[in-house]
Amino acid sequence: MALKGLDIFKLSPKKNCKECGSPTCMAFCMKVAQGAVELSKCPYFSEEALATLNASTAPLMKTISVGEHKLGGETVLFRHEKTLVNKNLFAVSVCTCMEAATVDAKLAEAKKVDYERIGERMYVEMIHVANNQADPAVYAELVKKAAATGRALVLECWDVECAKAALAVCGKDVILDGATPANWEAMSEVATAAGVALGVWAENISDLYDTVKNLEAKGNTNLVLDVTGATAKETLANAVNVRRTALKQEDRTFGYPSIVNLAKVAKGDDRLQTALAAMFVEKYASIVVMSNMSYAQALPLYGLRQNIFTDPQKPMKVEAKIYPLNGADENSPCALTVDFALTYFLVSGELERSGQPVNLIITDASGMSVLTAWAAGKLSSSTIKKTFDELDIANKIKNRTLIIPGKVAVMKGEIQEKLPEWNVVVGPLEAVQLPKYMKDKEYEAAVAAAEAERAAKAGAVKEEVKELSFDELLATRVPKIEIVDMGVSYKGHNPESKTFVTIGERIHCIAPAIKKAMAERDPAPILERAAAQIKAGATYLDVNIGPAEKDGPELMMWAVKLLQENFNNVPLALDTANMKAIEAGIKVYNRTNGKPIVNSADAGSRIGYIDLAAANDAICIALCSADGIAKDNAEREMHCDNMLERGLSLGMTSDDLWFDPLFLVVKGMQDKQMEVLEAIKMFSDKGLKSTGGLSNNSNGAPKHVRPIMDATLVAMCMMQGLTSAIVNPNDLRLMETIKSCDIFKNHVLYSDSYLDM
Amino acid sequence: MSFVPKTAPFSGKINAVTLGTGDKAIVIGGQNVLPFYTFDAAIENAPKVGVEISDVADTWDVPGLVDFYAGCTTMADRAKKAEELPGCDFIALNFVSADPNGANRSVEECVADAKAVADAIAKPIVVLGCKNVEKDADLFTKMSEALAGKNVLFMSAKNENYKTVGASVVLANGQKVGAETADDINLAKQLNIMLKGLNVNPEAVVMDIGTAAVGYGYEYAASTLDRIRLAALQQSDADLQMPIMALVCNDVWGVKESTASEEDEPAWGCREERAISMEVATAAADLTGGADAVVLRHPASVAAIQKFIAELI
Repeated sequence: MALKGLDIFKLSPKKNCKECGSPTCMAFCMKVAQGAVELSKCPYFSEEALATLNASTAPLMKTISVGEHKLGGETVLFRHEKTLVNKNLFAVSVCTCMEAATVDAKLAEAKKVDYERIGERMYVEMIHVANNQADPAVYAELVKKAAATGRALVLECWDVECAKAALAVCGKDVILDGATPANWEAMSEVATAAGVALGVWAENISDLYDTVKNLEAKGNTNLVLDVTGATAKETLANAVNVRRTALKQEDRTFGYPSIVNLAKVAKGDDRLQTALAAMFVEKYASIVVMSNMSYAQALPLYGLRQNIFTDPQKPMKVEAKIYPLNGADENSPCALTVDFALTYFLVSGELERSGQPVNLIITDASGMSVLTAWAAGKLSSSTIKKTFDELDIANKIKNRTLIIPGKVAVMKGEIQEKLPEWNVVVGPLEAVQLPKYMKDKEYEAAVAAAEAERAAKAGAVKEEVKELSFDELLATRVPKIEIVDMGVSYKGHNPESKTFVTIGERIHCIAPAIKKAMAERDPAPILERAAAQIKAGATYLDVNIGPAEKDGPELMMWAVKLLQENFNNVPLALDTANMKAIEAGIKVYNRTNGKPIVNSADAGSRIGYIDLAAANDAICIALCSADGIAKDNAEREMHCDNMLERGLSLGMTSDDLWFDPLFLVVKGMQDKQMEVLEAIKMFSDKGLKSTGGLSNNSNGAPKHVRPIMDATLVAMCMMQGLTSAIVNPNDLRLMETIKSCDIFKNHVLYSDSYLDM
Repeated sequence: MSFVPKTAPFSGKINAVTLGTGDKAIVIGGQNVLPFYTFDAAIENAPKVGVEISDVADTWDVPGLVDFYAGCTTMADRAKKAEELPGCDFIALNFVSADPNGANRSVEECVADAKAVADAIAKPIVVLGCKNVEKDADLFTKMSEALAGKNVLFMSAKNENYKTVGASVVLANGQKVGAETADDINLAKQLNIMLKGLNVNPEAVVMDIGTAAVGYGYEYAASTLDRIRLAALQQSDADLQMPIMALVCNDVWGVKESTASEEDEPAWGCREERAISMEVATAAADLTGGADAVVLRHPASVAAIQKFIAELI
């Protein structure tokens, strides 16, 4: 949609007067296209040229409002290209040709369909009122009846007098679907006078096009196109051609929402109507008019619509609550999982297949899958406890068996502590194992064990828990640091240097060896990984201690001291969902080789990390997303600006905010990679530093391919201005690529042995 | 005429795959336009509709299905009955009970059933496995041998068993094979490449891209269908030009809309009509996205979807 420099140049005065400050008109137009200069800097563009340029920056498809509903405004033909914006509405049709009793029955049936599905109200949003050559008074009477339902209306009426009579008896949330090649002028006046959108219909698509042109010439652009043809086949052709012409050929004449009337083309066959409606939900109807809507039709169609109009970049969430399955009651065991819709459907489906009564408890995890949510701190013993409290589960359910996903077995102890009344047991790793697990009651042994353990604990004397200060923790809970000669020393880092900053990602609690070492405060595995990364040339080391809800502060202090005292004060990035732990880590941090990095803030629930970094004079990684992936670079830029402003207002310098575009996995989001690269350029153009988990791009790719993908991407990113990345420094190809890029970027003086430096 | 729509046929084309033999053989795929885009170019072969015959069909309790198959006791009986149904293009034998985690019926019993069906009917046969990768590999190997010469499609080879399945079904016995992945265009392409690496002719491959019932994460299926079709047609990606078969029967009959009794959901009305409606809407969505064939359970769904196809072709 964006204008190219050459398109603007075609309309420019071409006088090369230099008054705008650019040497030539061509240079000026190129700058305008990039958004670097305002078009108004040139006083010589003709009125006509300006109008053309303004028009070509308008959206390709208009958004038309009908009462509270929005129609159209789409920017892509397929949902995976970006997202679909406004879901289609469903209407039920009544006609002057029907008996009053039939009309009443249809309206009553349409109103009956009204339910909620995954947070969305499902109902017949509109009533379509067709006029079959009736008297104005008769039509108005029918419209009145339809308006009494409180739903928005589509008035299909080609007679001007009837239209006037109808509009006099209903509100403003109406589409007057009445313009044809024969009556468009008069009908447009009626619609404009009433302040309602005008529907346009013609026998063929060419006449439809001409009629829209005529209406636009008279100034009416509050239009909806009725693309219904004589047959379903013709209707599909119209719907597709209209949408494609608007979005692909960029011809705004067809840039309006569309109406498809299945009451006409489905010939009274309900099942055929269901099939056609499913097709038109996917293929470009903004309003699908049905001859009737029963629950049998509504359940699949609204489910489909909800899926199709889900933003591909925002996870679909189900409500956090208790879902009793297979007739479960208060005496049935409980199984817990996250609110990511796909996880819910998978787990509930398998549990249903088991045939065993079970209460499925869905806990709030921001719509992430189990492992992702756990790693991001969105699924923790605290969030689970919160769900249990908010839903009052202890009082609603008497059974005390709680099965947690096998993938987060590590949380068992913490959950058991937060929910001492429950017997927490670890379920299977995969949902497909659930039917057998439930049928064979595999959890029973673990429940018995948990029960026994609780009984033993109850007997023991309860320890008094008192919150200790960081100094007290340091003195009492942090083991003495042993200095071990690992055969490498950190070579030092000049924070002013322009060379690329690598943040080694290998000390991460998701690795079982590290998780164990952290739990046991066993230095060896951690020192080993640190030494390898330092030897490979890492600038910073990331220390990810996981959610660390229980002992975060003392664990982080131990890790920071362990690494810095052993490796010449290697600078560190402190990475955990526990903010207190970061604060504690900074308390013992030595700044010789650079400030600590807080990993990380985002523009959503983790915005407070910027405050934390500001208060502790630390660098902060600022992830340009709120909850979920930013939908485009406009959103990334908005988050970037907001976080920058917050940091600066708290006294940070812009150099201490490292913006993260959020690297996306190629397998799955291949078409978004260039956008990430452009975001990096955007940060760089603003003079900002940037970083991110670059190796995420190759997640799931074969082992031998990953270094190639990572190295190639880092080169492309460094070209765009990326200043740092969280990477695996043991990847030689990647590190050599980074060193080479630093040569080309003139950050390091070349010598034959630059790779060894 | 002031406005002439731009037509957009593609240079890429979906492979045309023949199933069955003789005058009842069918061809799926072959088109170079998006589904039902007849205004871009003629659709070479209309989408095909198969009827599911399950080896646990005696547990089906929906009245319409009970009535339709009244008097049938074997898979062959049911297949014969289904073959005569107007709009039935092929028969899909669903060996649910072979699952080792379920009834664990023996391969020999299943093969005998398939053989009996093949002797009784003339329309093409598609075999659906039990989804257990080891059992399916064994089942498909023996069954493809027993049904040699019938040009049967076996659904499906997966990443875990494609070597055995591809080698036995296609290379040894000259049948057709499905390639199944779960809503992932990259995996779908990779599995097709691996099959090609085994020397399986791409024209012997049909894809199952991992569909779902509408309302149940269908956005993944919809986008995978869209993306695969666009890659095949727009980018002429030969490794994604295989026709697609959607096993709608496996997706829709287990979801709540189809199973909840009228006592449990009084507002929802007739359970059978709900299940048919789920099957019809899901099949229509699959066909609109890019499926070249669908497998359905209910005769009423078959009639509705054939009418839908006829209206659009």
